Order: sequence, then structure tokens, then C-alpha cells
Amino acid sequence: MKKINIWAWIVLLIGMVYFFLPLISTLEFSMKMIKDRYTFEAFRVAFTDRAFFEHFGYSVLWALLTIFFSTLLVVPTAYWVHWKLPKARPYVEFVTLMPFVVPAVVLTFGLIRLYGRPPILLIGSPILLIAGYIVLSLPYMFRAVDTGLRSIDVRTLTEAALSLGAGWGTILTKVIFPNLRVAILSGVFLTFAIVMGEFTFASLLAWPAFGPYMEEIGSMRAYTPQALSLVSFLLTWASIGLLQWIGRGRVQEQVAGAH
Amino acid sequence: MTFLEINNVSKKFGATEAVSDFNLKIEKGELVSFLGPSGCGKTTTLRMVAGFEMPTGGRIVMDGRDITEMPPNQRDVGMVFQSYALFPNMTVAGNIGFGLKVMKKSPDETQKRVEEMLGLINMPEYAQRYPYQLSGGQQQRVALARALALRPDVLLLDEPLSALDAKIRVSLRAEIRAIQRKLGITAIYVTHDQEEALSLSDRVVVMNAGKMEQVGTPFEIYNFPQTAFVASFVGTLNSTEAEVVDPAKGIISVGGIQFTSAEDLKNRKQGEKVRMSIRPERLSFASEQKKDNVVDCTIENITFLGSVVRIQVKIGSVKFNMDTFNNPFLELPKIGDKDQVTCSKEAVLVLDS
Amino acid sequence: MSAVEKISQPPARKVDWNWLGIAPFFLFAIVFLFLPSLSIFYRSFQANDGSLTFDNIIALFTVRDIINAYKTSLTISLITAVGGAIFGFLLAYAVVLGGLPRGIRTFMSTFSGVASNFAGVPLAFAFIATMGNAGLVTRWIEGIFNISTRELGFSIYNMWGLSIVYMYFQFPLMVLIMAPALDGLRREWREACENLGGNSYHYWRYVAFPILMPSLLGTMILLFGNAFGAYATAYAFSGSFINLVTILIGAQIQGDVLYNPGLGNALALGMIFIMGMCMAGYAWMQQRAARWLR
Repeated sequence: MKKINIWAWIVLLIGMVYFFLPLISTLEFSMKMIKDRYTFEAFRVAFTDRAFFEHFGYSVLWALLTIFFSTLLVVPTAYWVHWKLPKARPYVEFVTLMPFVVPAVVLTFGLIRLYGRPPILLIGSPILLIAGYIVLSLPYMFRAVDTGLRSIDVRTLTEAALSLGAGWGTILTKVIFPNLRVAILSGVFLTFAIVMGEFTFASLLAWPAFGPYMEEIGSMRAYTPQALSLVSFLLTWASIGLLQWIGRGRVQEQVAGAH
Repeated sequence: MTFLEINNVSKKFGATEAVSDFNLKIEKGELVSFLGPSGCGKTTTLRMVAGFEMPTGGRIVMDGRDITEMPPNQRDVGMVFQSYALFPNMTVAGNIGFGLKVMKKSPDETQKRVEEMLGLINMPEYAQRYPYQLSGGQQQRVALARALALRPDVLLLDEPLSALDAKIRVSLRAEIRAIQRKLGITAIYVTHDQEEALSLSDRVVVMNAGKMEQVGTPFEIYNFPQTAFVASFVGTLNSTEAEVVDPAKGIISVGGIQFTSAEDLKNRKQGEKVRMSIRPERLSFASEQKKDNVVDCTIENITFLGSVVRIQVKIGSVKFNMDTFNNPFLELPKIGDKDQVTCSKEAVLVLDS
Repeated sequence: MSAVEKISQPPARKVDWNWLGIAPFFLFAIVFLFLPSLSIFYRSFQANDGSLTFDNIIALFTVRDIINAYKTSLTISLITAVGGAIFGFLLAYAVVLGGLPRGIRTFMSTFSGVASNFAGVPLAFAFIATMGNAGLVTRWIEGIFNISTRELGFSIYNMWGLSIVYMYFQFPLMVLIMAPALDGLRREWREACENLGGNSYHYWRYVAFPILMPSLLGTMILLFGNAFGAYATAYAFSGSFINLVTILIGAQIQGDVLYNPGLGNALALGMIFIMGMCMAGYAWMQQRAARWLR
């Protein structure tokens, strides 16, 4: 198989060109804010805009809320399925596949129709937004925790702990969660990356967030949107990088993102 | 008539020498085993014969042709893998007929040959099954048939039975040997199970850390081991430190207790430290029949192993295992009894320390 | 209870209280996932005044703008699914089996995760900076060939331009899913094939591709669905220049010109239907793949 080596390098090269050219272009473009010079002025302007911090901050808030509620929802459920109710697995897995069948646009449409007007008026609070984000991150969160649980053979561990006299509190905090730390963290970082870059829900549900902010800037200004794009890219890279570093090889396919 | 020659073959991976100076001439129709622990180089040597690894030194000659540099798909060898390696997307018939399809044989010829092979492994109704529908033993038989379908000159088997249950292993290895004999095909069988090697082979090559320790028939390897490694790896063995007392008479001392050995100790010096070894089944109670050596002992432990009863005796300060055939009417001694055991001169092996 | 008593009792009609444990999860799913989807379903058959009608569904197949939107969406999805599958597979192959240094595989893994999450607004901007009127590549090409794209009326804000953008998350998705599948190709299969006289061609034609086919097809279907449901990237890149189903639905939500709730529902329903078929196809393929690669 060594003979195919040259083709592998060629394919890799083409791939790298395709992937890096837009990044380079964006960087180049963003540095042309001041005529005839390459500077980081665009970045400075972007970061000193108060609206930037506002919207970025909101996105962080949404991300944290999503992570919190998502973890609360997914982890016990996954644990329950493994420990007590394996029969429920197909149903639970079906639910985690649904977000792919109902894309963000469509879900927003349904949510607004159903809950966006009297008698149920949820539009005033970010409940719909967070709910949407939770749905978006559900597949990844569940799969991460599920894989983690599978690799530690929950049943046996729980039974061993029970036979040694441990109560449920001890079991959860001292046996299960420490072993799940990596899995949960990987789900957390992935959710963070997804929410930070999300546009559809935030835009259509009219909430302040980083995604719509970028889009707005893009239609009004030049150079700063590109700078922000790169910031977004680096942020995603950091999240995924941390995820990989923490997981160290165990979480490859789960990383495939939303659009 | 030598069919396969492995001459001075060695293989280096980076700085590690996986195989060094392997020399063997295999006769046509002979089944030779490569026996040894994990990492001893037996699989690497086999893979060099198959063509999946290239020797860093030496030549391999088959039927007069130097095949050392020949790619694997041009050699006339059939390989049976440890993990069966059946193509999961093809039926049993598809797998067996694959080699023929590659050679562009006619469908009729392929079908006939496949049926022939299915008959050989005694699985005629399984032609349309898929590998995932078969048990481990069945898959391995199909793998064997697939390798033999092309009438290879040499059959290579890489630990074919290690993934199977003990019972299946025993019956399948007899089947493999029967088929090999029936076809008269030259074969190399790699295994770490010495029972397999002893029961199957015409000759056994015992390997350790990339080197050949001994080559011989199973009988020779078992009864006349030439190195301490072979003696301990093949079969069970009692082995302990000893000292040469009288080289001319062949007397050694184990912790003060003297044994006479039939081995030639003339080249050794008095007082030289050696290793005394004796097979458990060569020891027996002196009350039955007295042989060359008679020594006092204490009964330490008695283990019932089924067809064999293993009695652990203490001779001086050293513990020895003694195996006797199970006999329901046998009056066994009790633990703590004092007794006498005996063995012949030939049973006492003296090896380098 | 003694054993005898236990046997003589009729089978207990016990409520399995264990199901309560996952009730919150299902409750959430029902409220925020299933109910909205269901409402979309039945409101598709509602006219503006609330009466039952098939007009909306019929409009899906008759209104020209809608037909075009579906056509464009389906075409783009097809292009990026097939294109993404082909090059993505080549990339996965290069990284896993191409004999490249191990570090490259790890790098590709991380980068694929990043690239597939980069989709949306930032991705669109990045490509505008690359291929747009003032983009880097555009300027290079203009410089090399001495032309002006603007005069030639050449624009990237069409289906093909968007396809190129979509590839940025389609390639990585393919790589992320196919790399493990390629790992599953056991070395012994290749060796057995060579041992039986076959070469690379035989191996790929009779062994590797047939084994990989369910994964390949399944992932291609996934790519299709992925592209079909994309909104953010399309919106940020070409806004309303390109007529896509997702853009249309988005317009409905924002109370655009053609404000017609029933129609919006029908559009959404159409999408759910297509995506549902995709997921079903993908799941079916996964099952077949699992059977062989067990």
C-alpha cells in the first residue's frame, strides 16, 4: 500500500488548499481596513464595539443555560436507560435522531406557531430559544454520555457498589460521575461550540446572539465581519481542540456539527 | 525431498531483531510446527514465507524457485488466518471460489471445485450461508477450504485454532491434520499451544526470542529437550538447581540428595552448577518397582486432574510434581506421609544452568 | 412468598414504574419536538380561515416559486452529497490508509470537527472574502487572466457558488464518518485477497467497496439531508438571491410578503417528509453495514 502514497499526499494537498484558502482570504481581507496597509485594525474595531461584547455575552449565557439543562435532562436519562430500562433504548435513540429530521428552520416554524401566540405565549422569554438549542445539542450530548456509559459498564459498577453497601448518592457522585467526566465534558464542549455559532434559532426567534450579530454587521460594514468570522473560527477550534484533548481519541465521530 | 527451504532468514523491525538466522528445510508433504511463546518470531517467519513481510536477510526457496522477493499474490501458498479473515460480504461459496474467480476460471469449474472443497470440510449444505451466520469452528473450516481451493504448494496456518473453544480445537485440529495428510500438502503450522504442536506435526521447531531453540520430531522434542527453554516450554517439567558431584559416573546432587543421570557429564567439572530436570510422569513410587534412583520424600499435596493424579512430593528441600495415571483402585498416600520415589537414569535431564 | 404460592398466582399486571425515570426526557421531546412537528402536519391542511383544505399541499406542486425552490434545494443537496461523498471519501482514504504520518490523521480529525461546526454565518463571510467581487481568489484570477469578473457578469451567488460553500462542511462530515468505517477494513482481508492471487483492483472491487457500500450510501444520504436542511449558511451567503426551501420557510416566519401560514406549514411538512426519508434510508444502511462489520 506504500505505492499509493503519492496520491494520498495530492488529495491531502488539495483538501488543505480548499480548507485553508477561505481562512487565509478572510484574514487577508480583514487586514485591509486601513488603505494600503495590512493591520489588525479591523480586529481592534470589532473588539471595542460594545455591541460585540453584549451579543457575545448573550451567546455565552445561552450556551451555559443550554449546557446546564441539557446535562440535567440527558445524563440521568442515559444512566436510567443503561441501568434499569434497556428496553427504552430504541425509543430514546429515535428521539435523539429526530433533530436531524426536523431542521432548525422547520422546528422554529413549529415552535412559533404552537407557542408563539395566545393562549401560550412563550415568545417573551428565551424558553423557546433554549429549548431549541437543547434539541439541537441533544444528539451529541446523548451520544457522548451514552458512549461513556457503555465504556464503563454501568450495570456491573452499580451492582458492585450496591453490594458493597453504597447509597444512591454515593454511587452517583463517587462511582458514575467521575468515570463519566470525560464523556460529559466532551458533550459540553460540543454544545458550547454549537450554540456559540448558531444563527437560525436566534435570528428567527429574535433574540440577541453572536450569530445574528455577525450577520447584521456583515450587511452593514466591511472588514469587521471578516475579523469576527475568524474569531468565531478560532473559538470553535478551541472548543473542539479542548474536547479532543480531554477525550484523547475516544470521541471522533461525535464531533460532526450542525450547519 | 526438500520442497521448501528457509535459509539464514532474519527480520529486523527498526532496531529489534524479530527473527534471527532461521534455517529450515521442509520436505514435501511434511507438516512442520513453529512453536513458541508470544513474540518469539514464529508468526513473522510464517508471514515471510507468505510474502507479507520481506526478510532483511536470507533467502526463501520453494520448489527450486527463489521466492524471497516475490509479491504474495504470485506465490503458490495458501494461508489460514487466526481471525479466519473470511470476506463478510460473500457467501461461503463466494469465499471459497474467490481465488478461482481472480484467476478467471469458468463458473462451472469454480462451482465444481467449490463443491469439492465443501465436501472435503464436510459442510456441503452451507454454500449459501454468510460468515456471520457461522460458528467460529465453521468459519475456520471455510477458511481452510478457501486456502486449499487453489491447490497451493504450501499451506500456512497462523494459530488457526486459538480463537476457538477447547473442545472444538481438539476435533478441528484432527480434521486439519487428516485433510493435510489426505492431500499430501506441505504445511507450516504456527502455534503457542504445545499440545497442538506435538499432536499434529511431523516435526516441531521450538522458537524463543527470534531464535530457533530446537528442531525435531515431537517425540524428540519432548523426551530429549536440548535446552532449558525447550524442556520447560514443552510439557510440564520439574526443574531445579543442582551440582555436579561425579562427572565420570554422571552423579549430580540436588540439595544434598544424589541422582544418577544417563547424560554424558564428562565435559563438566565437579561442583559445576547445572539444572536438573525430570518429567512428572517419569517419577513413580518405589513400592511399585525400584529403578536406578531411589530417594526419600514427604507427600506435600495431591491434586486430582481427571485421567492423571498429580502428587507433589518434597525431596530434601525441593518440591517435585509426580504424575500417575488415575486408577480407581489406587491407594493414594495421605498428605504428610513419608514415602520413597524412584526414577530411571535416563529420566534425569541435566541442562545448563 | 413461598415458591408454590408464587407459581400459582396469575401473572401480575404490574406497571413498570421504571418508565417514570425517563419521563422528563420524553416530556421534553414531546413538548418541544413532537408537538411542533405534529402541529405542522395538521396545520398544513388548514386554510387561512381554519377550514380543512388540500390547497396548501397542492400549492407545493403547482406554485412556480415553490417548485423552483424545491428543485434548487434538491439539486444543491444532490450535488454536494455526491461531490462531498467522493472527495470526502478520498480524503478519508488518504488519511487512514494512505500511509501518511499519524499526526495528520489526528489533525484531520480535529479540523473536520471544526470545519463542520464552522458552517453558518462565518463560513459564508469567509467564502465571500474568497470568491466574492473583492475576494482574494477573484483578484488572483483577474490578475492572471487579465479580466474583470464584474464586466463578464460572473457571479458566485448562485447554486454552484453555494455548493462550493456547502462542501466546507460536507467533506468533513464524510471524513468523520468514513474514517472509522475504513478502520473497520481489517488488514487480514487485504492479505487474504492477495494470498488468493488478487491485487488492489480485486480487493477494492470484490471486497472493500462492497463492504463499505452501505456506509458510503448511508453517509451520502446523510450529506443530502444535511444540505437540504441548511439555512444559516445560505441566508448569510446569498440571502434571497437563491430560492431555497429553507429560505422560503424562514421568510414565512419573518412574516414576509407571501404571508400564508398554511403554506408555510406545507413547506415545512414537505421538508420533514424528505428529511424523514433520508433518516430512514440512513438508518437502514447503518443496519446493513453493522451486520457485516460486526
